[in-house]
Amino acid sequence: MYDLLFSGIANIVQIKYLLPLFLGTFIGVLGGALPGVTIAMTIIVVLPFTFSLDPLQGLAAMTGVYVGGSAGGLITACLLGIPGTPSAIATTFDGFPMVRNGEPGRAVWLGIWASFFGGLLGGVFLIAATGPLAAIALEFGPWEFFALFVFALSMVAGLTGGSITKGLLSGALGLVVTVMGSDPVMGAPRLTLGVGFLEGGINFLPVLIGVFAFSQLMSDIEKMGDAQQGQAAGPIPKLVVSHLKIIGEIIARPFLLLWTSFIGVLIGVLPAIGGSAASMLAYDQAKKFSRHPERFGTGAPEGIIASESSNNANVGGSLVTIMAFGIPGDIVTAVMLGAMTIHGIQSGPLFISQQSTLAYGIFAAYIVSHFLMVIIMALGARYMLRLTTVPKSVLIPVVLVLSVVGAYALNNTMANVYVLLVFGVLGYLLVKFGFPLAPLILGVILGDQIEINLIRSIMTDNNLWLFLTRPISGGLIVMSVASVVFALWQHRRHQKRNRHSTDGDADF
Amino acid sequence: MGRDGIAGLVCLVTSLALFAATIGLPEASLLVPVGPGFYPRIILGITAALSAALVIIDFTGRATRLEAPAAAPKNYRLVLVSFAIVGVYVALLPWLGFRIATLVFVLVMQVALEPPRSRNSWLRVLIVAVVTTLITYFVFERYLSVLLPRGRWTDF
Repeated sequence: MYDLLFSGIANIVQIKYLLPLFLGTFIGVLGGALPGVTIAMTIIVVLPFTFSLDPLQGLAAMTGVYVGGSAGGLITACLLGIPGTPSAIATTFDGFPMVRNGEPGRAVWLGIWASFFGGLLGGVFLIAATGPLAAIALEFGPWEFFALFVFALSMVAGLTGGSITKGLLSGALGLVVTVMGSDPVMGAPRLTLGVGFLEGGINFLPVLIGVFAFSQLMSDIEKMGDAQQGQAAGPIPKLVVSHLKIIGEIIARPFLLLWTSFIGVLIGVLPAIGGSAASMLAYDQAKKFSRHPERFGTGAPEGIIASESSNNANVGGSLVTIMAFGIPGDIVTAVMLGAMTIHGIQSGPLFISQQSTLAYGIFAAYIVSHFLMVIIMALGARYMLRLTTVPKSVLIPVVLVLSVVGAYALNNTMANVYVLLVFGVLGYLLVKFGFPLAPLILGVILGDQIEINLIRSIMTDNNLWLFLTRPISGGLIVMSVASVVFALWQHRRHQKRNRHSTDGDADF
Repeated sequence: MGRDGIAGLVCLVTSLALFAATIGLPEASLLVPVGPGFYPRIILGITAALSAALVIIDFTGRATRLEAPAAAPKNYRLVLVSFAIVGVYVALLPWLGFRIATLVFVLVMQVALEPPRSRNSWLRVLIVAVVTTLITYFVFERYLSVLLPRGRWTDF
């Protein structure tokens, strides 16, 4: 394993791979630092640039975006009190107060080094766990895969959004999208609505870009018009610190670092919960375990360390799920999956054994990009504040052009651009009607696999009880049902509590 | 009827219509025990059931209706205009070609989102449009060998 990892690193430091990795990390840090631009949006913008690269170049660039973005959010979170990405929200709690106490360098560099160590701990887990988990998944038959995908989908549907019915419906609508096209057994066209190009089925990337990018951009546009929020960046503070002292400050709290990174990894492995939940949970845990919880919120270093180590460790965990099972946990890994599909690479449990150069290349890219991130931050963290003055009216058209290019360049047809637009409108409407988008996207991604595995298992043996009597498959089905029941119970409890509290005091 | 009821009804009608469309599909045979309509019918059955549930929950009002606090006024007109501009851009792309359509799109979109008030801001709008078009064109066509659409009218 370590031979493969070292050859992976030797491979990735070649300029051919190092350049896209560096650019990816750099753009990730920028996108992360820019309030209103999420890591997901950044990866969507980067995607079209990777089409003509070789697979490892493209995936290295995306890994860089992921790592850079998870760290980049802390700059604006600390210095302006505005999280650059949702996963940096918890960083503002103590980062901003610490900056106001006159320690901007300490706040920012605590965040950067915590991201670095948390990310590397996530990397240890990523490298150690992916192989064994994939080996377990290799024993899976179609029943288990069916059950696993259904479990992922039902968990996401239950976890996201306020209404479980809407979450489940959103996931099911995603599955409907994948039904359009030719059926996987006989190739008979179905539900093509008379549209010729639908016979080939709908590619999930334009759906994903459309649904996600439009809903986000249009929500930004809603808030535009009257008052322009051009953030005037004040004088940029100096961030000079003693790095040894900062690293010492982090290492002196080994339990905190390990525990919050572990939380990050764990949340990362579970699909669709994401970095923001990881950092909030880690922050909360750090506060609970602290001997001085009252110091949290006033510039406690523990708060910054917890939030930033967990959101970078989260990246490692998220990569485990995609590499071992082929289940994307968020938009970033979904786009990575799409990029693999473009290059004809089969994701899933066979990935790490059949594409070991690529798999270890991604591991190596993940590790190396943490070093690049620190270098980029050291050189440019101060100047990224200037970025916040770029107005939305410039960003939005540019992002839209790149989304259109991304959809078009998939296979050089306008058809995918039309899909992009249709799902852009649909995605925005769904958000307006209060539907969560994550289940829809996961449904579109997993739909084909759910159908194929269902049909494969029925064709192998038409006894449907096998889904329940095979232990792993049965266990996963029970867990899917349990996750929905749990979500319902939680929802009910939440509602009851709301009813008891003063009216109109709901946490919207 | 509330927001959920409307959404549920739309999804219900769509599911049923698509379900009806699966009726003509080839049926299962001895060779292929599962026909092409088998899985879509399950999925559409599920969406129909969930949509119906959404409508029922909305009607019985069990979902406690909490009035949203007065949020900042939303600029829906601008959203509509933006969608329209993107729609026109996408529609004209194959006719005008990538370079012309993108230049115009980035220009118009910026003006729509934040009308320039001074000569300087007009200049900025123009520069952003030109630079975006040139950079995307050169990076994709020259370095990444992605062929962007040529215009059928303009041949450019």
